[in-house]
Amino acid sequence: MELLRPSSVDELDGGVFVHGGTEVVPLMRDGLLAARTLVDIRDVVPSGVRGRTIGAGTTLAELEADGTIPDALREACRLAASPQLRSMSSLGGNLLQSTRCWYWRLQYPCRLHGGDRCHAREGEHREHAIFANDFCASAHPSDPAAALLALGTRVRTNLRELDLGDLYQLPTQKRREIVTLERGELILELELPAVEASVYLKAMDRQRWAFPQVGVAAAKAGGETRIALAGVAPIPWLLGSLEDATPLPRTAWKVDVAQALVRRALAQLG
Amino acid sequence: MARLIRTEKEVEGRFETVWIVVEEDPLEQWPAGPRDVVGRPAARKDAAERVRGEARFTADIRLPGMLHTAVLRSPHAHARANKIDLAPALALPGVRGALGPGEVMGFEAEAGYAGAPVAAVAADTFGQAHAALAAIAVEWEQLEAVLDPEEAVERKLFAADPVHYERGDFERALAEADVVVEGTYRTSVVVHNSMETHQSVCEWVGDTLTVYTSTQYVWGVRDEVAEALAIPADKVRVVCEYMGGGFGSKNSAGEFTFAAAELARRTGRPVRCALTRREENTAAGNRNATIQKLTVGARSDGTIVALGGEYVLALGWGGWSTQTEGPLKMLYACDNVRTDRYAVKLNMPPMKAFRAPGFVEGTFGLECLIDELAVQLDIDPLELRRMNYAGSNDGTPFSSKNLMDCYELAEKHWERRHEVRARSDATWKRGVGMASQVWFGGGGPPSYAWVRVGSDGRAQVVTAMQDIGTGTRTAMAQIAAEELGLPLDRVEVSLGDTSRGPYATLSAGSSTTPSMGPAVRAAAADARRQIIEIAAQRHELEERVINVQHGLAISSDGNLAQPIEELLENVQILGKGARGPNPTGMSVLTFGVQVAEVAVDVETGEVRVERVAAVHDVGRIINTLGAQSQVEGGVIQGIGHTLSEVRLLDPETGRTLTTSLDAYRMPTIADVPEIVCEFVDKPDEHLTNLGSKGLGEPPIIPIAAAIANAIRDATGADVHELPISREEMLRALEAAQRKEPRGAPAAV
Repeated sequence: MELLRPSSVDELDGGVFVHGGTEVVPLMRDGLLAARTLVDIRDVVPSGVRGRTIGAGTTLAELEADGTIPDALREACRLAASPQLRSMSSLGGNLLQSTRCWYWRLQYPCRLHGGDRCHAREGEHREHAIFANDFCASAHPSDPAAALLALGTRVRTNLRELDLGDLYQLPTQKRREIVTLERGELILELELPAVEASVYLKAMDRQRWAFPQVGVAAAKAGGETRIALAGVAPIPWLLGSLEDATPLPRTAWKVDVAQALVRRALAQLG
Repeated sequence: MARLIRTEKEVEGRFETVWIVVEEDPLEQWPAGPRDVVGRPAARKDAAERVRGEARFTADIRLPGMLHTAVLRSPHAHARANKIDLAPALALPGVRGALGPGEVMGFEAEAGYAGAPVAAVAADTFGQAHAALAAIAVEWEQLEAVLDPEEAVERKLFAADPVHYERGDFERALAEADVVVEGTYRTSVVVHNSMETHQSVCEWVGDTLTVYTSTQYVWGVRDEVAEALAIPADKVRVVCEYMGGGFGSKNSAGEFTFAAAELARRTGRPVRCALTRREENTAAGNRNATIQKLTVGARSDGTIVALGGEYVLALGWGGWSTQTEGPLKMLYACDNVRTDRYAVKLNMPPMKAFRAPGFVEGTFGLECLIDELAVQLDIDPLELRRMNYAGSNDGTPFSSKNLMDCYELAEKHWERRHEVRARSDATWKRGVGMASQVWFGGGGPPSYAWVRVGSDGRAQVVTAMQDIGTGTRTAMAQIAAEELGLPLDRVEVSLGDTSRGPYATLSAGSSTTPSMGPAVRAAAADARRQIIEIAAQRHELEERVINVQHGLAISSDGNLAQPIEELLENVQILGKGARGPNPTGMSVLTFGVQVAEVAVDVETGEVRVERVAAVHDVGRIINTLGAQSQVEGGVIQGIGHTLSEVRLLDPETGRTLTTSLDAYRMPTIADVPEIVCEFVDKPDEHLTNLGSKGLGEPPIIPIAAAIANAIRDATGADVHELPISREEMLRALEAAQRKEPRGAPAAV
């Protein structure tokens, strides 16, 4: 295995991108990601907050301490992972992390791995999705992704600009990937629109270092409120109505939790 | 003179008869209360080594030329390896040796659970060994797997004979009771997840094998390895200087040790076999799940007249049938008790002892049931417990029991419930709950210690015990220092090596301090006696007028006050001590009560433990600081079992799903509440020359029920299942809403 350290976007030529390594390294160790070439992108990806532009290389630890960013993003970063992980992990990498579904992590031949069934649906799924869970019941684990989705974030890559929502797609028979980036495409910056107020609330089963059971981000801008959820669907979920949830037998409780948190988030936005 | 006697020994509620050698002239116990060194706070003797990273754990052992082992494990819950070909693995780069089923103990062709060890490969690096596993070709024949405990009971797939117990007339008493409460309680599988995974490094020098291993019992490993390899026990040396936690999962050698020893023999190289964190979560033991159908009958005045329990223990492929009904039989005075216990063998990872095995599970069920009874009777839960106080253990007198003192000390914590409840608001409901605890923990013989006092006036305690992280090294130093009249910093303890010290106890069943402490004190007393004899002869004084204190030999008239290093010059003193028997015809037990304060978010099902008061009765406390640390550890581990930890299996394949620490969720420091710790601290006058019992296990026993009872106090919801996840909490809240209103919880 080789490690490349390019200093500009122009030098990028294939390989597996790694920034903090908090996701890539465990995936490789567990045989979920094979790489002949690792590309350390820390000198390529912008870092830091400039107005409403956030470098994708900014760590969650930097963001949780930044008073200038919207509350929802700051809080989502603060409530994510552990202090050690937040010091290492980049915002861009956090958005691209894989599901924590144990079946996927343990390499069951599930639909995300190209197989023909979702093991969680009939198996152990107490932490799984309540929306869009027919094909794959995995739950998206990123707290910041839900916050950025509610905030209406635009993403700039080395190839294009897109809405954060378009960074993700539900897995289908034809395309099992949940991230829409092309090969060699790299998130460089995130552009946050102005919002009046925002909030992120998170239910987890311990106080720190837990992925969201349900994360609720809400942002108010121009008389409109957007709500996005983490941990409830295979991708970060822009909420229409909780009435439309299709919980599995052991995930019905998540709908109750989401209802309570949405109510509280809206109340906090005022 | 040495005297041979036959006596009874107990570990974790299992009794056996042993022969032991004891010393004549047993020592009088010290008076109750703090002494110069004993009964006072002492920082760990090895704190500096630990924090500087100098303490050598098994995980730190790196020997020249050492090979690394990877273990091939069954992907099936039940299968037979009909054919296995190791040759392709052996041909790979770096691979030096391999072994298959039947070649060493613990590696079997029939795999009884997903994760059962089948073959092992030793290579220059762990990566090479791990890569070689893929090259091993196995022809599996899948066998029927049973994963449902209730089905296993029906089919009588018992891991041990069912156990029936009866006293009095349960049926009749129940029929005559004014109030009957029934409940079904379930506990889930939890995993020890010690910081140091199970591991050994084995090295042969000639025909002698040295085993560095993370263990709770160096002597047990020595005997097991000798037997597994068919070599004499004195050809095996076992070393465990520092140990990163065991909690019951490291009471025996384990197949990783046998594999390392055998591969070291075959390759002529030192071999390390260390479980990965994922293996640790799969195949290193667990606390088995239980289903408990419990019944209590009481008169309206609060007298408990009948207690019944039917217990199903879902053991997995290995393990033993724990006395889960123990608390129900022992905690309360009740003439009519009937219990049945069914331990079933399932195609799941094997159970191993886990910090108060059986009693943690059984106390959750019993103490929730008693609280539900208190609600029905409209009697204060503390009062109900006092009213039904057991005066004996089923007719056998206690060597000491101060649970009533615990209740008294707990009153001020219990009184807080009015103020705690008053802090409730629309979403966060607050309440207070309590639960009591009974457990063993008297320790027992045999255990031996030596105390060497050198011409430098320093003492060294030498015994081949192990400190599994509980701080017994420090407690033993305190005991020796107290007896020798030396300051604590002049006493060292050398332990953890079967070739450097006499036989010592297994560190399980809360037994290390009560087993070893008396032997260390006896050895120190023997050394002290010799110092006095030498002083008497040198200064032509009578022995009875000489004392040793603060490092000085002192005469009662004050004329002699000589530092012992001066007295001894180049004399070396060796004192020997043995652990005497436990009192015959008496039950040696530990007791306690915990009061938990919780807050429940009734909309999201979140449960927060805000404060725990733990009051325990374990005889004399040796190290008040170390004891507090034990209580905190037990409470924190118990909070994990109560709220967030659960080992999950795929119901279809029986494979473990929670294999990493982000999926298997132990508490973080942010989950730890304020923990208030109090001790009765009365020496057990019948127990040894110390009057001390063990404290490793008691603190984890009542916490789950105390939390569940606090939840009931806060919300009126009856939680019947561990862990109390949000799902379970929301279910219980909804059930409580549907239930007939039954008035205010827990009368004042």
